[in-house]
Order: sequence, then structure tokens, then C-alpha cells
Amino acid sequence: MPATSPDGAPPNPGDPLVGLHDDLLAWLPTQRWFPAKGREIAGLRTVAHTVVSTPGELPTVEHAVVGVSFTDGTGSAEERYQLVLGVAASPPGDVEYAVIGRRRTPDGGDEVVYDGLADGRISRLFLALITSDATRGTLHFVPEPGTEMPIVGPGRPLLGEQSNSSVIYGERAIMKLFRRATAGLNPDLELHRALGRQGSVEVAPLLGAVEGELDGEPMVVAMLQSYAANSADGWSMALTSVRDLLAEADLRPDEVGGDFAGEARRIGKTVGSVHRELAAALGSGPLDGDGAAEIEAWMLARLDHAAEATEGVREQRDAIAAVLRGVATAGPSTVQRIHGDLHLGQELRTPTGWLVIDFEGEPSKSLADRTRPDSPMRDVAAMLRSFDYAAFHQLSDWEQSADEADPQLERRAQEWADRNRSAFCDGYAEVTGTDPRDNPALLRAYELDKAVYEVLYETRNRPTWVSIPLRSMRRLLTDTGAARR
Amino acid sequence: MNEGVSAPGDELVADDTTHDTSTYDAPSAADFRHARTLPVEDGWYKRAVFYEVLVRAFADSNRDGFGDLPGLTDKLDYLAWLGVDCLWLPPFYDSPLRDGGYDIRDYRKVLGEFGTVEDFVEFVDQAHARGIRVITDLVMNHTSDQHFWFQESRRDPEGPYGDFYVWSDDDTRWPEARIIFVDTESSNWTYDSVRGQFYWHRFFSHQPDLNFDNPAVCEAMIDALRFWLDLGIDGFRLDAVPYLYERDGTNGENLPETHAFLRRVRKVVDDEYPGRVLLAEANQWPADVVEYFGDADAGGDECHMAFHFPLMPRIFMAVRRESRFPISEILAQTPAIPHNAQWGIFLRNHDELTLEMVTDDERDYMYAEYAKDPRMKANIGIRRRLAPLLDNDRNQLELFTALLLSLPGSPVLYYGDEIGMGDNIWLGDRDGVRSPMQWTPDRNAGFSTCDPGRLNLPVIMDPVYGYQAVNVEAQSNSTASLLHWNRRMIDIRKQHPAFALGSFHELGGSNSSVLAYVREHAGADGARDVVLCVNNMSRFPQPVELDLIAWKGEVPTELTGGVPFPAIGELPYLLTLPGHGFYWFAIHPAQER
Repeated sequence: MPATSPDGAPPNPGDPLVGLHDDLLAWLPTQRWFPAKGREIAGLRTVAHTVVSTPGELPTVEHAVVGVSFTDGTGSAEERYQLVLGVAASPPGDVEYAVIGRRRTPDGGDEVVYDGLADGRISRLFLALITSDATRGTLHFVPEPGTEMPIVGPGRPLLGEQSNSSVIYGERAIMKLFRRATAGLNPDLELHRALGRQGSVEVAPLLGAVEGELDGEPMVVAMLQSYAANSADGWSMALTSVRDLLAEADLRPDEVGGDFAGEARRIGKTVGSVHRELAAALGSGPLDGDGAAEIEAWMLARLDHAAEATEGVREQRDAIAAVLRGVATAGPSTVQRIHGDLHLGQELRTPTGWLVIDFEGEPSKSLADRTRPDSPMRDVAAMLRSFDYAAFHQLSDWEQSADEADPQLERRAQEWADRNRSAFCDGYAEVTGTDPRDNPALLRAYELDKAVYEVLYETRNRPTWVSIPLRSMRRLLTDTGAARR
Repeated sequence: MNEGVSAPGDELVADDTTHDTSTYDAPSAADFRHARTLPVEDGWYKRAVFYEVLVRAFADSNRDGFGDLPGLTDKLDYLAWLGVDCLWLPPFYDSPLRDGGYDIRDYRKVLGEFGTVEDFVEFVDQAHARGIRVITDLVMNHTSDQHFWFQESRRDPEGPYGDFYVWSDDDTRWPEARIIFVDTESSNWTYDSVRGQFYWHRFFSHQPDLNFDNPAVCEAMIDALRFWLDLGIDGFRLDAVPYLYERDGTNGENLPETHAFLRRVRKVVDDEYPGRVLLAEANQWPADVVEYFGDADAGGDECHMAFHFPLMPRIFMAVRRESRFPISEILAQTPAIPHNAQWGIFLRNHDELTLEMVTDDERDYMYAEYAKDPRMKANIGIRRRLAPLLDNDRNQLELFTALLLSLPGSPVLYYGDEIGMGDNIWLGDRDGVRSPMQWTPDRNAGFSTCDPGRLNLPVIMDPVYGYQAVNVEAQSNSTASLLHWNRRMIDIRKQHPAFALGSFHELGGSNSSVLAYVREHAGADGARDVVLCVNNMSRFPQPVELDLIAWKGEVPTELTGGVPFPAIGELPYLLTLPGHGFYWFAIHPAQER
């Protein structure tokens, strides 16, 4: 790792984190939420900095946005990340694992800087500031009107998270710090707020937020929600069901104990309710010719991008394009705000029902693309794709060791996918009055668009899984009914 | 023993030899010796392991083919050895036995085949000598149509019993009340040709409902309770309590008048018989059942206990689905209960596996999974014993029993399930799960020395569950047997008050196939008891990471073997479980070990 920056430019001496740059450059790539692993870092600068604690309060708490630039010139020139830092002469023993580095104090002393979310005192301070509707510099700590803070106390960091960092307050509330700093309205907060005000029971209620500024625009620092205790995610539950089925092989999905169709139907109802509530809160309109053309153009661009990179897509490019063009000629449809990145892992089973989580949208898209109204069929198609993934995930793992797939198991997996996709659509139709299968051209286009994206993604990231979307792609090109009844 | 819907008048004249209808004199408790009583012990029912035993099916002392009270008394040492605290006896009263004795002909008389009131007193006395309590079933809602009261009521509408039952000139009133025994009954009204009116019955047509709007009925019922309490029993299971009253425009269930009467019964018990218990049978959703505990601020002023009906089918469903959520869901819907109250929970009992408290979808699923032969269905339920329901899988039998002994509530075991007895689905109604207890591999399973043809119900003889393979004697001789395993688990449960009295907190965890919960109890002396139960609902081995941070630094000790597991640290606690496996741990501070 370079000592300062590879271009030799010295850090800005006015930078409040000067003296910590080397430590941060070593620390950032070790964090799970840092996506640019493997890219060579050109330099680091402090974009924003706020002292959250009051003078004399221990430990000192700082909020910072750092910009990281890279040498490879691909992607954006600079990625920005949010940090919450704890600063103390000697931090408590249980945050030792979170230490970032040491820096000199103005009076010549030495202090330790660590990831602040690891310190229960700091997470408690955030909660207290939200409860009291406080302002610190450009940071506004905002309680959600009409909600009651369930608890005041220290939080505990949630381990094993991917793209953000969360702390849990006594199984009552969870605060998510958005690691990637993006100017503009954060759709996760925006949609949770809108759904909460619709009285939605399909999302974890919003309790508050920390909002700041970036480049003169609003930015969401963190979001506080009710914690869904005793929950499990839909992906792992679906895999449990598939595992149960594949262990039998001679039984159909409706005959084995682990049948998932009841849950799939409930998930369909849950997603349908969320769509209804989003339309009620933020409006909806018909999908007109211009809108359809825009969606089609976007899909075709993504197709061509994928065709360049993967042979499997390239071979079928024209056939796929023909299906995608179906968007323009499909039956009447609506557009509205949607989830945008739905899959079984974004659904939590709680003892009272299913919750939909994580409304940030597809991470690879720009903020403008993520907040643009789209057809709810995009979410539906994404869920149908997810059932396919769950059905074939275990088989694709097994195929690595076997010479060829067992056709019997493959048929069972397809039956599982069909049964649960169908149950999902039943549930969705029950709540919305719109059966996704009644608009097969549109649904098929969205499913195929998603499958193309998956082929590209798997080719780059998980080559052993690429057979799953490829299989679906082939099926979608030959089978005119996107989801069988 | 349901023979369907024949009108009671058919057998009236020929059959009623029991009473001289004009001069019936009810016996009084003073006419009999009383059993010794156990000391009054607050909340004993919250800690007790219950055992449901059918007198008819347990042991026959006089070779008439019927189990009887002296036979049961002889087997008390076995029950004491097993470790049960309280026996529940379904009706043993004088009865024409058209509904397994739930059709009572005389509240103060023992069924001839079972023995006498004196035999009953001796049985209670001997049970108490071993520290075992006894509760008995009492059917308040209705009587047999052969009861003296009903015979008088139909004969003389103006007489003292004329208003003891619910009579009507037509059969149209209260259409909102559902028909419970849908297999055999088409209406809740049946015409009586003697009185020329219809009478109301929520169950079989030979079981007319008593009229609790008549104060004399309330008095007569409370006197019947006093009779048995005076003889020394420890309480009652009150059968079919939701249906005591009828009101226009209602379904006749859970009415305020019913609760008012139960409060009156409770007051009699509290004032005159402290320490005795009332256990309600109300096959309703938990939110409705909690009403039967009465006023929470008073600690509960109706029944001390009530059965938790919906939990049981959910346990079966959770294991078939390999998902904890069917159980998590129903427990999350179960309201808090008054501090003096306790749930009664069970896996199986003398009735069918009741599916009234599941949704239609779930019911279809349960039928498909557990009642592959249509004969296994009965009314809205499944008539199987535990072992055949679980395909005799020892791992599942242990898992289910571990759940029964550790979920919130007092467990109620069903006779014979401790040795994994089978059933006989070819017997009528619910008799398939009421066959004779299997004691030995000898004739009649050691239940009776009578001629096998004389047995009231045949013993189970199939190659898997038959008495030659499954019996107490053989299992007593092998410490690896299911019987010994059950005994050990009951013993462990008793060593940890948290199982009986502790709070219940589900731990969740990302593995939906694993149901994990903590029971925690602080004793009066401040002693803390924390028990962690982890159950694998799946037939496959599973890992689970549990958030045990609240007990950081403490040590889980496995309860069947006493092996200390690694101390709880900062990170989620990792356990791996075999298929259908479970663990019970006590969590102690490290230095306590």
C-alpha cells in the first residue's frame, strides 16, 4: 500500500484526517463494505468532516466522508465512503478489533482512532441525538414523526454484513450506516418513509434518520428502523425446501414436507401490498409509448453490453432482442416507484409474516435510474428469477463434482421453481387484482432482461453459477408462457 | 362409542333400569371414607408433569376385560417411577359409554366395570401416598340422555327437572352455532317424542345440554364438584367449557355468562378447597382461551389452567416443513397469561389430533402428511398415536417429547406414548388410540388375565407396535429404551424450575430450521435458572449461530450428560445439530461449575 499517494502529491495539510491517511488506506480494503477490493488506490482525501460529540464528552465522535481515487481509471474517478470514528487516548478493550490507527493530538499527545460503531457509547449517542431531534454541524438527527423510540441504550454491531454497517439496539431497533456516500435522496429512506406513512406492515417501521449534506445536496447518513427479531431470510428458507425435495427425487414438490408454496404465496401477497402502497404514496401512471421505448432502449443497451462480454448471450443476441422489444407492444401496464432489487434474500420471514427490506435499488445503477418509475413487473420478474435461482442453486453446486446433471433432479428442481413461481403470482394477484401472467410479453421481457444481466454478472463473479441463468435464458427463449399456472 | 343419531326414545323404556325415577337419592360425600390429602402447595400445577390415563385401558384387576380402579391403583408404583406428578382421569362415572364416558348418567357413581366410589377413594389415597395428585374430568355442559335429570325433564315439563335442559318447540334457534361432530350430527337440535319438543345438544344427540340459565342446574353442578373434592381429588379438567350458555345472535361459545359461572366455580374452589385446580378444555384460539384464566389483575379468577390447542398441530407442521415458523407464529400470537395461570400442552391425548385451530390450507396439508389412510381422519382431526404419527422414528419421538417438556406450559403425557405404543385405526370412533396398556409380552399384554375374546378393546398386535415388541417390561430392562429416555427427561425437567416457571424468549437465528429459545426463572431465594433449548426441525444436520451475548462469559452445560460446552464469547455461538436433534443446556456463570 502506498505511503501517501502514488502520484507523490502531499496530502492537504488542512485535511482534518491528515496523519490518519496511511492507516485508513490500509484499513479500508479490509472492510467488507469496501467494494473496490483489488483496485489500486491512487489517493485519499477528506470530503466532509463533522465532530458529533460535544467538547469534553468522551470519547470524541467524528463523522467523515472520505473520497478514494483509483489508478485504473475505470468506473468513477472517486468513490466516497462514510466513516463514524471514535477517538480516545485509550479505547475500551472490546473495541480493539476496530482500531484504525493512531494520530498525534494538537498538543503533541497520542490518540487512538477506531471504527465508532463498535463502541456502545457511540451508538447510544446516535440514538440519543435522533430521539432529541439534534443538529451537529451539517448533520441532522431526525426522529420519524409519530413513532416512539423503543429503547435508549448502547447498540451492538451486526456482523457479517455486505455493503453497509448496522448496529442493533436490544433487538428493538437497528441503525444502518450507509457506507457509500451519495448526494441526493436515498431511495431506501425515501421509500421506507413513504411506506411507513401508508401504515405498511410489510416493511420494518422507520424510526428516524441522520441526514447530512454532500456537494451542497442532501445526503442520508444513517437510517433507524424497528428490528425484526426472530426472522429468517427467504433465500435460506427456499434453499431448505429445495434441499428437502432433492433428497427424495421420487416425490413431487407438493408431496414433500418442506413444500414452500405456502410461503411463496405469502411473499407474493407481501410484494403485491408493497406495490399498492408505493403507488398510493408516490403515484402511478400508465406505461406510455415513450416510457416503453425508454425501458426497451435501456434493456437493449444492457443486452449489447452483455453480448460483448459473454458468448452465451452473444449467440442468442437477436432472439433475446426480439423478446425485449415486446415491452413496446405488450398490453397496458403501469409505472410507479418499485423496489428495484428484489430477490428472496430481500424478504424476511418473521413470526407475524413477511417483510421486504433494503429499498436501495440495484447497486450498479445511478441514483437517477434507481428512483425512476418503472413497471412493477420488474420486481415480479426479479422474484420469479429468484425462485429459479433457489431451485437450481444446489444442483449447480453438485454439477461441479458430477459428470453431468441428473435429469431426474433437474426435473424436480424445475417443478419446484414452477410451483413456487406460480404460488407467488397467485398471492400477488390476490392482493393487487393483477395477475402478472396476464401480461406474458412484458413479464417475459423483464425476466429475460434480468437473466441477461445475471449471465454477465455470474460470468464475471461466480462462473460456476452461470449455468443457472443460461438455463433460464434458453427456457425463456423457447417457452412463450413466462410463468406457468 | 358413537352409534350415530338414533333418537334417545328408542331405548328409553327398555334400558332405564338404573334408577327408580321417582325416588332417586343422590349420595353424599359423607357416606364414604375420604382419601388422605396432600399439603396445600401454591402453584403446584405450574410445575407438574401430567399423565392422562384411561381407567378402562390401563389394568384389569378382576378379569372382566375392562381396566378398573383397583388395577390402576396397582400400577401407581410404575407411574411414580416414571416421575409423573399428577394423573388426569377422563370420565370414570356411571355412563352408557356412548361417548367414552363423556356421556355421564350419574355424577356421583362410578361406572360398574371400573369399580366403586370406595375403589376410587382408595386409588386417590394410594396416589397421594406416593405424592401423585389426581384430577378428574368433569363434563358440565351436558349429560347422557339416560341421566335421571333428563328422563325426568322429558317426562314432566312442570316437574323439578323440567327446566334442566334446553327445550324448544322448533329446531331453528341459534343457527350461528356450528355443529362440532360433523361426521355424525346434522343439527344441534333433536326431537324428543316423549316431551314433544326439541332439545339442544352441542355434541352428540344422546348428550343433551344442561340449561345453566336455571339456577338449580348451577347448584346441582357445583354440588357434584363438591362431592368429588370432598373425597379428596386435586381438581378437575372441565370438559367443553365454552358451550355452557346459549344466546341469540351468537355462536354460543365463550359467552360472558359462561365466564361468570366459571368465576363462581373458582370461588367455591378457592374458599372451600384451596390448592385444588381447574383445567379448562376450550378448543379455541389462544386469544380467546386466555379469557378462561379470568381477570389478570387478580392473578386469574376462573380456571388455573387451560389447554393450548393450536400449539400441538403446529409442532407437527413445523417438523414436516423443517421450519420453526409454524411454532414461532403461534407462540407470538399467544397472549401473556395471569401470573397464577399455566397452559397445559400436549402432543397427543384420547381425542383425535385436533385440527380445528389451523387454517383450511394447513388442515389439508396435515391430512395429506399425517393421515394418508382416510380412516385415520375423524371429525376434524387425525386419530393416531404419537409413534405411528412419526413413523416410529426414535429421533423424532425424542425431539417432539423434548419440545413438549420445554415449551411454556405444563406437559400432559398420554398413557402408552412413553413406550411408543401404536394404534388400531380399524376400531370405531376414537377407540383406535384407547387400546390396552402394554405391560408385558404375555397374554393380553399383561393388561388382563381374562380370555382374550373378553377384552373390552383388542390389544395392538401388529409386528411393529404389537405388545410383544413394545411393552413396559422389556423397556424397563433396557436403559436405552424410549421409556427410560422419557423418565430421564422428566427428571431433568424437574431439576430446572425454568422449564416450568421461566420466561420464554425465542432466540431466532438465521437458520429457519432451528427453533431455539431460552427459559429463565429467578426463584424466591434469588437463585437464577437459565435453560437454553435448541431444536432442529429438519431431518438433515444443521448449523446454527445464536446470539447469546446477554450471557457473555458464561458456560452452557448440556443437561443430559453434564458436559460443559465452550464459554459464550463476543461472537455468535455456533452449534451443530444432527437431523431432528436437540440440546438442552443450563447456562451458568463460569465459576459456578
